[in-house]
Amino acid sequence: MPTVPTNAVPAEVTAIDTQARGPLLLLLGSGLLWLVVGGVLALIAAIQLHSPQFLADCAYLTPGRAQALRETAFVYGWLANAGLGLALWILGRLGGEPLRGLNWAVAGTLFWNLGIAAGLVGIATGDMTSFTLLQLPRYVLPLLVFAYACIALPGVLAWSGRRADMMYASQWYAVAALFLFPWLLMASQAVLLWWPVRGVVQPIAAGWHVQSMWTLWLAPLALAVLHYVLPKVSGRTLPAYEWASLSFWTLLFAGAWTGGRHLVGGPVPAWIPTMAVVAGSLLLFHYLVLVINCRGIMGAEGTGAGFLRFGFVAYVLFGGLDFLASFRSLAEGSQFTLVEPALREIGLYGAISMMFFGGIYYAVPRLTNRVWASGAMIGGHRVLVIAGIVGAVLALAIAGNSQGSALLDPKVSFAEMANQMRVSLLAHTAAQAVLLAANLLLLVNFLRSACCCGTSTEAPPALFAVESAKEGSAS
Amino acid sequence: MKNGPLLFTGLFLAFLISFAGLVLGAHGQLGRLVPYHDDTEGGSFPQRVSGLAARGQAVYADLGCAACHTQQVRRPGFGSDKDRGWGERQSVARDYIHQARPQLGASRLGPDLANLGSRQKSDEALYALLHGGSATHPAYKFLFETRTIAGEPSPKAVKVAGAARGTETVPTERARALVAYLLSLSTAYDYPEAKPLAPIAKAPEAKK
Amino acid sequence: MSTPSQPDPRADQASVSDEKLLAAHEPILGQQPDEKGKYRLLPLALLFIFSGMIFFGGTYLGRFSGWFDARVFNEYGTPPKAGAAAVPVDPVVAGKKLYAIPGACITCHQPNGAGLPGAFPTLVKSEWVTGSDERLVRIVLHGLTGPIKVAGVDFNSAMPGFGPGGGFNWSDDKIAAVLTYIRQEWGNQSGAISTDRVAAIRTKEAARKTPWTAAELEKLP
Repeated sequence: MPTVPTNAVPAEVTAIDTQARGPLLLLLGSGLLWLVVGGVLALIAAIQLHSPQFLADCAYLTPGRAQALRETAFVYGWLANAGLGLALWILGRLGGEPLRGLNWAVAGTLFWNLGIAAGLVGIATGDMTSFTLLQLPRYVLPLLVFAYACIALPGVLAWSGRRADMMYASQWYAVAALFLFPWLLMASQAVLLWWPVRGVVQPIAAGWHVQSMWTLWLAPLALAVLHYVLPKVSGRTLPAYEWASLSFWTLLFAGAWTGGRHLVGGPVPAWIPTMAVVAGSLLLFHYLVLVINCRGIMGAEGTGAGFLRFGFVAYVLFGGLDFLASFRSLAEGSQFTLVEPALREIGLYGAISMMFFGGIYYAVPRLTNRVWASGAMIGGHRVLVIAGIVGAVLALAIAGNSQGSALLDPKVSFAEMANQMRVSLLAHTAAQAVLLAANLLLLVNFLRSACCCGTSTEAPPALFAVESAKEGSAS
Repeated sequence: MKNGPLLFTGLFLAFLISFAGLVLGAHGQLGRLVPYHDDTEGGSFPQRVSGLAARGQAVYADLGCAACHTQQVRRPGFGSDKDRGWGERQSVARDYIHQARPQLGASRLGPDLANLGSRQKSDEALYALLHGGSATHPAYKFLFETRTIAGEPSPKAVKVAGAARGTETVPTERARALVAYLLSLSTAYDYPEAKPLAPIAKAPEAKK
Repeated sequence: MSTPSQPDPRADQASVSDEKLLAAHEPILGQQPDEKGKYRLLPLALLFIFSGMIFFGGTYLGRFSGWFDARVFNEYGTPPKAGAAAVPVDPVVAGKKLYAIPGACITCHQPNGAGLPGAFPTLVKSEWVTGSDERLVRIVLHGLTGPIKVAGVDFNSAMPGFGPGGGFNWSDDKIAAVLTYIRQEWGNQSGAISTDRVAAIRTKEAARKTPWTAAELEKLP
């Protein structure tokens, strides 16, 4: 592999980046803000797990509400904003034309964040619904659908007006996420909140919603980032690219069918959890092809690649564990325990968020045309966030494991169970505190980079010149 | 892939097929479940609950009780639900048809409540737990009002530990709805579809 | 890979431009696996694995689908058959529920079957309960009035009928169930009374409208 760059040709920062700077930085920035808000809420929820009397008298923050607030701020606040920002950026760049309709995106971002804020207030004051990842009160949901459509508009325009006829994998994934999320949010709010279906059909629809959020929205957004940044930094084509489309369609067609995995042993017909196992086994193919195609990230260098590597491993790990947990024999012990939040932490934090971090580290210097304000803060963020995620997941998994065996033994009371879990739950709180610190670092670094108060002058455009010597290996 | 409309159609189909299959399919099967009429008992099951209890479900939902409590009993032999006294049989779809918002829950940091009304007959213990908390349960003092007794004590007042003389603790409307709801939870009635399998059919039928 | 100097962590360098990225991947998608006249191992292996997963999924579905029946909650279960819906009911269990219906037996004869001394006769170790089923069925069908001696104690009250014309209008199988229950509960150990037996007596006494008296019944076997 050639190592020495010979001549620097077209500058990597183009008019596309310059023109999209404001709107996209707004999206990414509000995402990071929500990430920190979610971190504070996560800390409160973590403390309540081992000390139930913490803030017990505050009606706005009962354990159930704190958890819902945290999840909502994290998924609808952080993941949505950051994911959309990155998806628009990727679609714009691969489309080859400056993004159109960015004013819509700015307005949409404002409405979206207003909606989330109103929704969080609604949850805290008693309008929470009881569906996982859909706890937002129903009166903000139509606004969210509208705001999402506004934000997505430039992305869709960039995709339909793309210069090249052909579409790259990142475009499939990003477009899928842009289109599918409003549909699924409309469908699930219709059957759950506006015209509620009867009895246990509600939990079934809620299970479909949770798995759809994952496989039809968050995973495609993260994979769009991964598929884009990987060849950009490695300069190589994906080794099994001809299979990538089959992998893509497997994810989309099989993914949402895993909805019954949360209802093992529950009051639903047996075919629903069975279907989850079947769909899960098909999804393994998606993960397999992804491993073959994106294994190059393991050796790739750079700040963004470091985060993407962690996210890639976590994504595949999550896929495997999620599949295993849908089997009845394993679910008997792991269901209803903290193993489930541990899995969610691997998925939402370890996989999706880490890939978004990678994307942000890669994209922001190009959007600002300036290097990140502080290299030390990047290093600090990386160390802390990895320590935090690994710590939180391990602590929850250990606690969940002892909870699982305690639940299976009818002689163990809930007080004894809480005693057994105490140490690991304390460790979990510590890990959440570390995560909060990590994300504060990222937020500060981002604000300093975006607001021109960083190392402003040392940003020659040539910094982002594409090293043409490596281009040879791309074909 | 370069065909935009094809991609769009594929996306729509992926969304539609899973929604139709899983959600609408289940709705078709379970959406029209009717109560089971038992001639012997002279009534239909599940029975409707009082209006106060129905409002209590909304309180249960918005406080987020489902974050720590489930309301679904797994079948005997699958988990320890039966041995813990949570219910003699598995919860089935019919149990939930009168509930506006079934609270199945996904986490058991506390006991399952699907059948609480069958094992907990009086509201006193529930008020005490909600007001005073325990090692594992938060004390939700905001569900109660403490006031000085002026004239006759309120008939709704509950006994709590450590109350000052001359004051009484009265549950709020929400607390009374919540407790009425909790006491209404019962899966005591056996539906035909909830019967455990006969021992012969229990073994996985490997050969067909 | 050795680079001359440590790359700046504050900005990642790109190795390839967006146009190049698109152009490099475009031709791959349309490629045939055997383009160069030889089969590569990877596509074959992937195809094999994909079919394997579909096969696993299909087998699993076939085995644990519960026939896609809404009434099957246990993956090992089978749907209830249409004809066999009527599972044989244990008359003692059904009878206990009937006995306890407010306003029925339990009101006078009490939960323990002992009745109320001086007002309502006991059912425990009573010769009227454990003895002739001809008499017992008639009492429940049409009621009883006037003086009666039960277990050596004299009573004089009235019992309503639970058969035709009564407020309950119980069917034959309900009467059979509740009688079987009281004949086998509280230490009583008499034989069960079948639905057919009740039906036969009901037909025989179709004309009877008034309650029985002890004297009339004592003429029966």
